[in-house]
Amino acid sequence: MGCSSSLPDRSSGRLVGPNLENGGAPDSKNLRVKLVLLGDSGVGKSCIVLRFVRGQFDPTSKVTVGASFLSQTIALQDSTTVKFEIWDTAGQERYAALAPLYYRGAAVAVVVYDITSPESFSKAQYWVKELQKHGSPDIVMALVGNKADLHEKREVSVQEGIDYAEKNGMFFIETSAKTADNINQLFEEIAKRLPRSTAQ
Amino acid sequence: MSLDSTSSTSADDSPDPASPESVESQLGSVALSEPVAELASAANQVARNGVGFATASEGGDDDEEDADMGGEEGPVGRAEEEVWADYGGVGGLAAAEEVGEGLGGGGVVWGRTNSELEVDEPASPSSSGYAGERGSSGASSGELEIGEVVEDEIQEPRSDGVDGVLDSQASWVPGKRHVDEDDASVSWRKRKKHFFILSHSGKPIYSRYGDEHKLAGFSATLQAIISFVENGGDRVKFVRAGKHQVVFLVKGPIYLVCISCTEEPYDSLRGQLELMYGQMILILTKSVNRCFEKNPKFDMTPLLGGTDVVFSALIHSFSCNPATFLHAYTCLPLALATRQAAVAILQDVADSGVLFAILMCKHKVVSLVGAQKASLHPDDMLLLANFVMSSESFRTSESFSPICLPRYNPMAFLYAYVHYFDVDTYLMLLTTSSDAFYHLKDCRMRIEMVLLKSNVLSEIQRSLLDGGMHVEDLPVDPLPRSSSLPSHLSQPKPPTDSPERFRETCDWIAGPAGLWHFIYRSVFLDQYVSSEFPAPISSPRQQKRLYRAYQKLYASMHEKGIGPHKTQFRRDENYVLLCWVTQDFELYAAFDPLADKALAIKTCNRVCQWVKDVENEIFLLGASPFSW
Repeated sequence: MGCSSSLPDRSSGRLVGPNLENGGAPDSKNLRVKLVLLGDSGVGKSCIVLRFVRGQFDPTSKVTVGASFLSQTIALQDSTTVKFEIWDTAGQERYAALAPLYYRGAAVAVVVYDITSPESFSKAQYWVKELQKHGSPDIVMALVGNKADLHEKREVSVQEGIDYAEKNGMFFIETSAKTADNINQLFEEIAKRLPRSTAQ
Repeated sequence: MSLDSTSSTSADDSPDPASPESVESQLGSVALSEPVAELASAANQVARNGVGFATASEGGDDDEEDADMGGEEGPVGRAEEEVWADYGGVGGLAAAEEVGEGLGGGGVVWGRTNSELEVDEPASPSSSGYAGERGSSGASSGELEIGEVVEDEIQEPRSDGVDGVLDSQASWVPGKRHVDEDDASVSWRKRKKHFFILSHSGKPIYSRYGDEHKLAGFSATLQAIISFVENGGDRVKFVRAGKHQVVFLVKGPIYLVCISCTEEPYDSLRGQLELMYGQMILILTKSVNRCFEKNPKFDMTPLLGGTDVVFSALIHSFSCNPATFLHAYTCLPLALATRQAAVAILQDVADSGVLFAILMCKHKVVSLVGAQKASLHPDDMLLLANFVMSSESFRTSESFSPICLPRYNPMAFLYAYVHYFDVDTYLMLLTTSSDAFYHLKDCRMRIEMVLLKSNVLSEIQRSLLDGGMHVEDLPVDPLPRSSSLPSHLSQPKPPTDSPERFRETCDWIAGPAGLWHFIYRSVFLDQYVSSEFPAPISSPRQQKRLYRAYQKLYASMHEKGIGPHKTQFRRDENYVLLCWVTQDFELYAAFDPLADKALAIKTCNRVCQWVKDVENEIFLLGASPFSW
């Protein structure tokens, strides 16, 4: 149960669920969802995941190879738990053609850009289109502007993010993996938006 | 000072100090602006003046970081080197005893692929090996369509930041250095060993030092030299210019070039370029060639984004990992039962549809199992381990990543599940199926359980602490061949036989008869074992020098066309080196420079016996043969 002890910032009344089943059949109370992170290289996908799963932040960026797999379980207030099985994909161009390998069958896609980089914002839009074409039809998509702590270097306005997300039926949030701002909120919000009917 | 200073090099170590700049810049400008015909004169000029890249006068550029030779290779190294590098000198090789023959080569030697000197592998007979690759590709792959996704130029974030803070003895930090340099920087020109990868249109792909994009002109120059010779229906292998050797390797649309003044033999440098190419294939597969078919001016740098560390780690290993020239792998020493436990569980997993299951500790193999008929080439293992160890992200969590084994199938990706059990020990499960992640994850959990239960992981840590074979422990009297062996390698030494009577002949504490170090390579197993470094060779710099000496020895013993050599004994100011090659094994041993020859030979016999006595623990036996 190491996950609960390693999360320093848990004031929001959110509880980290115990490590439930390992391979036990998920039911309506205990969801298991596949989540994939997509976005340009260097926008902070791995940092978001490591902040969420381990409560850590490592400023020395390590280029992800292929995709890393991590999981984290959260408990919601309605006493359901959601176990996220997270595919943290590499943003490098050479892996783009292999992305379907990781987003195939994903219930949630988190598309990340860096608010200081317009290029990464257009790359995010590329991923949204790709998911609309090839992802699961009922996929829950979130658009995330990361590095919100660098507001003095901001080049993508909040409004741009909101507008694009609204147009594409996505949920939008700005985060900072460095300060942990909105990281937990991001995953809680995703959990709330998950379709429950299928499991019942 | 040196025992074999009977010869000296020709005057080629001091090219005209005034000319390099001008000729080099001239080459550069010509390459950029003029058609190929003009290059003939430029290239010829290089040949005439004997300059090329020789920024020459850098007698002792101590600013060099660890990854390069310092000035420690004295005149002896150079004197010997002349023997190896020039074709005219092959006769000198046969005179194995205390080689000291120098050849007065001219300033520049153009090593060309004439028909009788052709040493390229038969696989690519024509200069356009490209077409051949394409032909063979059709059937096998189709996995990757990199060309399709190259739409927008993506800025890759560089992971530099270690610029200029390197201490030569500090532990090596991977990553690219000196990104601010380009070919106009004096410091850049003084680097002792450059590696370049470029495309056939002259676009830079990778440079060891400096920013690739700023080196476009320089890349174009290299491309011009290659295509100039190719246009004449020939192929350039190397150019010798003063102390510098420029080695070329053409792989279809990819050109690889090494410029070095480290006195390494041509064959070694060429082997290093082959590994660089293999590393690139491991990341991208050979289907990257198709991008060049569609667009000859294709820019490949974005595809390799973030892999600087992988290449720089590989280049670093050229001077500290003998596997890079031995084409063999090495095992972590373990008690037979421990290794068998690890092999058994991996075998179990391999039977369930895993192509290769490899458990490694740093660059040493703990156990390795292939599915039936599948075999893993030692070079592939080296490149795979280098890729995994140099990519930090594998350490954070379990990963699933496409990789290609160039010797297994250069056209197709395999999928690698990678998991670190602790900071040193990692498991790699390779499969052909892109959907196998959850299966491999289950396999890993099973393996982990068995390894924990049978204490394999803690035994690995212990072996790491104990180290492998120490020359001080070499049994003085050959043990009778016994089947029951002590549990650890260092124990065959009877308590009474301290080698003190040998020690008094030298100041160092090392093995008997002045034995400092050895490498034993088993030909059939594709494995080698290397002894631990003793006090006289304790610094990374000394170790690098010894490896370079071994590497030179290896190249001279394996040089094609001059017949197989069985033994070689050479003495210089640094060591006595003894090499012994048989059908079954190759032994490379280094002794104190004052060591007695007869005694050294006797000691080598004992080393071989010792290795045989403990082979159960230092080698992975009984597995299927690993090379094709």
